[in-house]
Amino acid sequence: MAKTPEDGRLELLQGTLDMLILRTLQWGPQHGHGIGQTIAAHSDDLLKVETGSLYPALHRLEKRGWLKSEWGTSEANQRAKFYRLTAAGKAQLLREQNRWSQLVSAIGRVMNPARVDKD
Amino acid sequence: MQPNDRDLDDEIRGHLALSIKERIERGDDPAAARRAALAEFGSMMRTREEMRQVWHSRSVEWIASLRRDVVVAVRSLRHARGLAFTVIVTLALGIGANAAIFSVVREVLLRPLVNRDQDRLIYIRQGAPGLNAANLTFSVPEIDDFKARVKAISAFGDFSTIEFTAVGFGEPRVVQAGVVSGSFFEVMGLRPIHGRLIDGGDDGPNAPSVAVLTHRFWSTTLNGDVSVIGKTIRLGTRTATVIGVLEPSVPYPADTEIIANVVTSPHHMSATMVTGRTHRMTELFGRLAPGATVEDARTELDAVYRAMIAEHAEAYPTSGNYQVTATLLRDQIAAPARTILLILLSAAAVVFVIACSNVANLILARTVRREGELAVRAALGASRGALRRTLLGESLVLCGAGAVLGILLARPAVAIVSSYAARFSVRAGNVTVDSSLVWVGVALAMIAAVSLAYIPRLPSAQSPSPANSSVRITAGTNRRLRMFAVTQVALTFVMLAAAGMLLTTLVSLQRAATGYNMNQVLVLDVPAALEAMGAARLARYQQIIDRTGALPGVHRVAVGNMVPWRDAGRFGPASPFSIEGYTPADGEESPRARFRIVSPGYFDTLGVPLLAGRDFNADDRIGAENVAIISHSVAQRLFPGGDALNHRMWWTDQFFGGKVLRRIVGVVADADDERVVPGPAPTIYMPFGQMPFATRMFVQTAGDPHSLIQPITRIIRDVAADQPVERAATLAEIRAQVLAPERLNAFVLSGFGGVALLIAVVGIAGVLAFSVSARTREFGVRLAIGSTPRSLLLRVLSEGLRMVAIGITAGVIGGYLLRWMAASYVGQMPMPGLVPLAGAAIVLAAAAVGAALMPAARAARVDVLNALRSE
Repeated sequence: MAKTPEDGRLELLQGTLDMLILRTLQWGPQHGHGIGQTIAAHSDDLLKVETGSLYPALHRLEKRGWLKSEWGTSEANQRAKFYRLTAAGKAQLLREQNRWSQLVSAIGRVMNPARVDKD
Repeated sequence: MQPNDRDLDDEIRGHLALSIKERIERGDDPAAARRAALAEFGSMMRTREEMRQVWHSRSVEWIASLRRDVVVAVRSLRHARGLAFTVIVTLALGIGANAAIFSVVREVLLRPLVNRDQDRLIYIRQGAPGLNAANLTFSVPEIDDFKARVKAISAFGDFSTIEFTAVGFGEPRVVQAGVVSGSFFEVMGLRPIHGRLIDGGDDGPNAPSVAVLTHRFWSTTLNGDVSVIGKTIRLGTRTATVIGVLEPSVPYPADTEIIANVVTSPHHMSATMVTGRTHRMTELFGRLAPGATVEDARTELDAVYRAMIAEHAEAYPTSGNYQVTATLLRDQIAAPARTILLILLSAAAVVFVIACSNVANLILARTVRREGELAVRAALGASRGALRRTLLGESLVLCGAGAVLGILLARPAVAIVSSYAARFSVRAGNVTVDSSLVWVGVALAMIAAVSLAYIPRLPSAQSPSPANSSVRITAGTNRRLRMFAVTQVALTFVMLAAAGMLLTTLVSLQRAATGYNMNQVLVLDVPAALEAMGAARLARYQQIIDRTGALPGVHRVAVGNMVPWRDAGRFGPASPFSIEGYTPADGEESPRARFRIVSPGYFDTLGVPLLAGRDFNADDRIGAENVAIISHSVAQRLFPGGDALNHRMWWTDQFFGGKVLRRIVGVVADADDERVVPGPAPTIYMPFGQMPFATRMFVQTAGDPHSLIQPITRIIRDVAADQPVERAATLAEIRAQVLAPERLNAFVLSGFGGVALLIAVVGIAGVLAFSVSARTREFGVRLAIGSTPRSLLLRVLSEGLRMVAIGITAGVIGGYLLRWMAASYVGQMPMPGLVPLAGAAIVLAAAAVGAALMPAARAARVDVLNALRSE
């Protein structure tokens, strides 16, 4: 994850956004803006999701049946679309989480072979 | 669930509201928060598009936008009606011509025959190129030799044609019959649709006579009456049973009405037929033995044939250069039509290419005019794909309309082309219009549409867009426009030269002096059934001749056995004869001459001059001294001293029976009744009074020959009831009929040439008009610095002529190249002489001047002040 020079934020790795969205929705239904805020808050503002990526991703996940959407009213008293995790979405989250931890540990071993040896 | 546009907007609006609210809560002042959110909004438009696209597959999306583009195209083309009309009509001509001709080609050349295993079915023929006889057919002894010795062919089928007077199919009538042995249908691989066909059990002299009806005869003449099967009919002198109806199939070698077994025809049982090696009247077919190829069969046939020639040298004079050939029946049937259809197909393809390049020109010019519009769209973010799609939408609309119109045009055209091709191949008669026609049209339209959409160069978003909307024509575009116009001119030139060549040939054929009185001689076929007239034949003919001669307006009447040109080939190649006291030099072939039977007065009636001696007269009858009249070329070859009269000749062919000496009583000018353009015609005439076999009547008239058809027919019917009288025509009309294929070729190619010329004229005019309108300013400047309008006019005209000159040069070179390439497919092609070439060039140049005049006049009328102010 390369640091962008201006604001010290991190760019999302390709393919991780879907997993983050699914994880965020585990805590309950949320609208797009809220999802973005949650990801930022939980990463101490290091991960900032672009709206241009977030919304198409939400629609993509919904099309694949991992999310369901319904209309509600937001804190700003506006009509807003709330996304909710489906059962298929939960299963997908599990799969992605497993793959992610495998990836992390594999990359970790490649990057820090000495430490692995010490353990 | 797929969101609609409102949902997407609501979602975005909801997001923006939350975003503003959040910024305000963070302490931004409301105005700044709003500005920041609106900044975000710009990119939201793209996001919204991406969200929407999540729900569409790419292709669905693409097609949906294409549909929008098509709607836009229809709307924008409504403002360019002239262009749309020109493009659609041009394409329709190209597509229609191709679709029509392709339908016929498919039916005639590509569709398989109904015959079982058509790839094993061969047609065998012998020819004597040295005697000018391409197809001599075979005699029974020859066929027997092949049957005994050739192993690569498992079975032979034979077929000969003969006329019978049939009693039993309604009125007594003359039917065209095929006579076949029992193996014929098995070899041909044909089946009956009713009853059975002739088989091995119908062979031999003791078998009962049987006849099979062809499908055409049964379904048209007999109205598909099934009860006819089992019926007994009289065929000539014999009684035959109808045993079945043949399935519809290509009638080859002859379109007969019935097919009978050998025993039905007394002639086929005669000694002449069975033992005469030169009595050739039978067509031969063969089935390849398992494992054998056509090449094997050819090799073996040739070997056997060579042996036959060695054994019976007297039947195969060396000068004849006798050959045997074998081809697949399918190819044999297609062969005569093949060349003409391929020529038509390439002519149609050329028209299509011309049409496309013309349309490309128009579209290119239109796109250049729209460069401003396209540049604006590119700057606003339209992708190159979207711009292409806009162009594709337009060309799809144009080509689609062109295809629809083209297919509508093709339907009647198929009928014309197939009736035309029917002169060359029996298969062309049943060409039907089916969906393949539509597919050809659609395929051609798609090819045209896609290539047209990719021809114009697109402005890119990066390149600076033109500052104003006036047309800026680049050198590249101009070159391309000119290139297309030159292509059209070149191809048109080739078409015009080809059409011109056919026309000049036709004119020379029609102008050739024939040696006959062309306009005042009426010819009638009186196909008398010989056996029906019996011994009274001569007296009856004389009665008919006398009574016809007494009709007002009739000068002379005669009968003969052959109508010039119409009956060409009826009596095969010239027959050998000998002259008493004439010994051929060593190795010299015995002389040959055409055998003709004529009545007294024949030469006067047809206008053939008598050069020496006398005409036949009433005293030349059976029992009197046998006499003959020879033609000039016979006299010249055998009696160079001019002393032909009173020598005696006899026919050496055994067909004429024994040695009957005939005294030469006259010499007439050569008259070539085989070819319209006369060549040497060595002919020996026999008097009708001594050989009463003549079924053609010649009447020289004073006034309109056609007015005499009715009275003459009445006289003939009066003398012999039920006597058919057919095909009355003057010699000039017969020549026209014989030349009909040539005339049609010339007509069709001229049609194509005309269409090509029309398209090319539109193309040249279009390019020049475009170039003139793009150069208004240039012309303004030229006028301002002292050019006269006249010089501008000439300038534009010369531009047009230059394109034509380049095009003609390219056409000449390309034409020679094409001919060289085509030579390997269709054999050597005749070359147009200077007249058609010059004619084509002049026509094109004149058309180009015409096409250039309007734009040139416009250039000359440019208003200086307006032109200079325009930028």
